[in-house]
Amino acid sequence: MLSRATRAIGTRSPLPILQGVLIEVTGKTMRVTGTDLEVTIRTDLEVEVLEEGTTVIPARLASEAVRKLPPGAVVLQAADGEVEITGGGPQFRFRELPADDFPKIAEPDLTGAVEVDGNAFASALSQVAVAASNDDARPILTGVFFESEGGSLRMVATDSYRLAVRDLPSMEAELSGLVPVRALRELKRTVGASTLRVAIGAREATFASDRGTLTARLIEGTFPNYRQLIPESYPNRVTLDRDALLDAVDRASLVAEDHIPVRLMLQEGGVELSVIRQDVGGETEHVPADYAGQEMTIAFNSRYLNDGLSVVDGDEVVLDLMDPLKPGVLRGTGSDDFLYLLMPVRL
Amino acid sequence: MAGAATILHADLDAFYASVEILREPSLRGRPMAVGGGVVLSATYEARRHGVRSGMRLADARARCPGLVVVRGSFGDYVGYSRRVMAVFRRFTPLVEPISIDEAFLEVHGAARLFGPPPEIARKVREAVRTETGLPLSVGVATTKFLAKVASRVAKPDGLIAVAAGTELGFLHRLDVDLLWGVGPVTRERLAGAGIRTVGDLAAVPPAVLAGVLGHHGAAHLHALAWNRDPRPVVTGRRAGSVGAQSTFGRDVGDPAAHRAVLLRLAERVGSRLRAKGRAGRTVTVRVRFADFETVTRQTALPGPTSSTSALYRAGRDLTGAALAEVGRGRGLRLLGISVSHLTRLPDLQMELPLTGAGLADPVLRPGSPEALARSRLDVAVDRAREAFGRDAVSRAALLGTGRRDGPTRDHIPAPEDL
Repeated sequence: MLSRATRAIGTRSPLPILQGVLIEVTGKTMRVTGTDLEVTIRTDLEVEVLEEGTTVIPARLASEAVRKLPPGAVVLQAADGEVEITGGGPQFRFRELPADDFPKIAEPDLTGAVEVDGNAFASALSQVAVAASNDDARPILTGVFFESEGGSLRMVATDSYRLAVRDLPSMEAELSGLVPVRALRELKRTVGASTLRVAIGAREATFASDRGTLTARLIEGTFPNYRQLIPESYPNRVTLDRDALLDAVDRASLVAEDHIPVRLMLQEGGVELSVIRQDVGGETEHVPADYAGQEMTIAFNSRYLNDGLSVVDGDEVVLDLMDPLKPGVLRGTGSDDFLYLLMPVRL
Repeated sequence: MAGAATILHADLDAFYASVEILREPSLRGRPMAVGGGVVLSATYEARRHGVRSGMRLADARARCPGLVVVRGSFGDYVGYSRRVMAVFRRFTPLVEPISIDEAFLEVHGAARLFGPPPEIARKVREAVRTETGLPLSVGVATTKFLAKVASRVAKPDGLIAVAAGTELGFLHRLDVDLLWGVGPVTRERLAGAGIRTVGDLAAVPPAVLAGVLGHHGAAHLHALAWNRDPRPVVTGRRAGSVGAQSTFGRDVGDPAAHRAVLLRLAERVGSRLRAKGRAGRTVTVRVRFADFETVTRQTALPGPTSSTSALYRAGRDLTGAALAEVGRGRGLRLLGISVSHLTRLPDLQMELPLTGAGLADPVLRPGSPEALARSRLDVAVDRAREAFGRDAVSRAALLGTGRRDGPTRDHIPAPEDL
């Protein structure tokens, strides 16, 4: 649980106190809190309490220390400005950080929370999270946008090169807001559980389970109007075996690296996939497919294509296209609740 | 050998003035300045009377009554500059000219032929002196930054080699204004905080320094004070840069005039890049003020570009930032734009037509629909000019800003691109 709270801690935190986790022992529980002020993770554990108290200890050191102790009970004891961590023989001592300096963080607000299937939620999230941006220069794109859409909970992310939209059906709840993808990526490893309670307020999103709570400050600003980006119809449709295409893209990536596009020549009977890298070489292969449309060659960044194929549902995928300079849309056949739209590379 | 002092900064002393002395030897030993309205270069005899580059000639005459003034002859300077650079290249192929009268030389591979770096520096000075007659000062150090500082300290006609391991001892006793980027304003501010030497500066934690200079400036100066400068010497060709600059015959303070010049420069640099099928992601602006203080500002774009609009916007933003930071209302004497880190014009990852706040300027993002539309415009303009001549197409913003009241000299006598 130490390591769970430690996941909220930024590596570049400006304040030394934020390199620590707050440990509060009251009644029968020990609560561990880690924060970088944007994301806060709290975990609770029922413990045998010898004495109540509060302390802040260096997060990474302490969590590594506990991990390296032999299996069995661990005893935490604070005295004289130091915290002693013992268990099965070894004894670590760490200097305490001043507990008064630890930021006062409001209790998680679960007003209007909805209960969701934690596994379904996590898997839906992982489908859209790949499309979110990691570029802090455009903060609005570094989040996953939640909104209600026709009885579903919709999650959307885009880094301006691709766009992923996922609907989680049968969710009547009004959840809306732009949640930092960085926080969501920690969800599974921290408070992830089979049942999750989710609340999105005006300022923060809160995710709670029996393992603890994760609170993330919402990204301010208006998410771009993504609906207008999704074409209504496509004259060209190719249907292929997902794993066959994924393997082919994987082989091509060997030569392509990040900046060389993978070319798809679409024709009756299949896709001619190729990559050409000046001064190095290339790769070509044929992937059988059903193709209805005009012959054309379109190129995609191999990583973006790979990301999309990896998260789409089903064994068979559909790639809908208009022309080589317009976005392509990936979907699982017969599946309506996820789409992955990606922009081509202009050759 | 990593960490050894193998970088030379070679800087011709009072270059224009020195050339004039070669042309007219009777000027030797006299206070003399080259220039028209302002002093472009002055002999050390004139400098002793307080004559400085960028000073109005009238002011210079007032300070130095016997001052001889010579009008410059730029064609000659370019010729001398080429000959000096050619001497440098005999000692090492790794020569990075940074202006008409100075260059960095990386000599780590030259030791076998010519001896240790200080010895090479001595030979370079001697060769330049014998073959061209020009005095040259050289600094030798482990970093570009320190080599440049050393050559400044060595002037006139001197040589200072700072051995590896002794850098901080040398650097920390110097005055702060020997650091790149410390002009009169910064010096005043630092002095106000009790910082006079580089050693004082080095001792101040960056966070505290940020309170005096802002974060960017503080981090920059703090790194320099500890001789942290990772930039290698890159040759003109390898560096892959394309640039253009304009000098003005008078001070230009009007922002609209700056923008017109920047647009013209961006057009020129963009069309040259496009003609070569190249694109770059680092844009550098060079700004010279009326008093000849020269600063550069640099930014990295999200992707490589050869677009006139993108270069213009980046140039405009950088110039605006430089003026806001260190302008103090001074007019400009020179503006330059260059693009470096060139690559082949890449296959372009297109972007979705996203709209909304907080998405950065789309023109600066090469794959955005806006940038693509503008690059189609560039292509059309290039074609029209190729077919019908340079004046066939003109940007509306440039109409009426012809050469007469614009730059008086385009393409300064820099032997290499800016």
